[in-house]
Amino acid sequence: MTTVTAEARRISVGIGQLAVSRDAREVLVAYGLGSCVGISCYDPEAKVAALAHVLLPSSDGKRADDREPARFADTGIDLLLQRLAEAGAVKRRLIVKVAGGAAVLGAANAEKFKIGVRNAEAITERLKHHGIRVAAADLGGTKGRTMEVHVATGRTFVRTAASPASEL
Amino acid sequence: MGQEIVIHVPNIRVGTKNDACDAVGGEETVVIGSYLSISGDITGHVMLLFPEPRALECVDLMMGQAPGTTTEPDEMACSAISELGNIVGSAFVNALADHLNLVLHPSPPQVLHDMAIALVETVYAEVLSQGGDVVMMDAVFEDQKGRTAGLLIVAPDPASLGALERVAA
Repeated sequence: MTTVTAEARRISVGIGQLAVSRDAREVLVAYGLGSCVGISCYDPEAKVAALAHVLLPSSDGKRADDREPARFADTGIDLLLQRLAEAGAVKRRLIVKVAGGAAVLGAANAEKFKIGVRNAEAITERLKHHGIRVAAADLGGTKGRTMEVHVATGRTFVRTAASPASEL
Repeated sequence: MGQEIVIHVPNIRVGTKNDACDAVGGEETVVIGSYLSISGDITGHVMLLFPEPRALECVDLMMGQAPGTTTEPDEMACSAISELGNIVGSAFVNALADHLNLVLHPSPPQVLHDMAIALVETVYAEVLSQGGDVVMMDAVFEDQKGRTAGLLIVAPDPASLGALERVAA
């Protein structure tokens, strides 16, 4: 189970946002991932963690909105890796985990709403493009997820409205 | 049931997904509600969401039970909320159709029981992926104590915004 000390600061990573941290007291959290996908990264040597909250699969060449720099899987992942490198992380050491991409509006509407599935595919593809293998994934289904990464340990947890946090 | 339930709508506004997320409560809020899509002259999305404790109170009112009887969001509770969503959502779509002289069809309701933000963000993603502007209208229902009793979110697809503007002008 997750152990959060009293001093832990929870940093909310909203829709289309990303956060990079070297502060061991911080826990980066993406609340309520529906069709969105959360990407957690950790470099165990540099002790740098990051979390991105991706909304859509492709920028289609559009520049990302400054207010949502991680809105798109392609440009969002590029920026995430750039920020990690700036913070001292090394790409080949990164442990990358992904969660989300659900069809929360129900199985009956899943045919119409394919964004969750498309997000998951686009993210896996873009990470592969950068030579990064996904270490663990919790994707699909019909339930929203909250994902968090503990900067102190790099441990990543996922929970839903119905189930308590479990380590990814 | 012989009991009058007054729905007080203190505000209806046109906002962003952040407004809609704020309106349902904190980042951890779990809601029960229903989703339906609109097809016809315009297309879009309608969600009626109740924070879990308020949803359970609604179920007791609908079933004529003493408040506090329903303590778990079981199948019966979700079914009752879905029916409520169907009534309110369809009434809203019909009122819109009558007012604007449009032909609109609500889809069958889908029961939702999930994190509020996950639901709002998914509708936001769907509308945004079609390109164009995202307009999310939300109406907050308050009970007599001023607590958020429910939230109606309406998001037209971008292609329908022009049509809405024309008929509303």
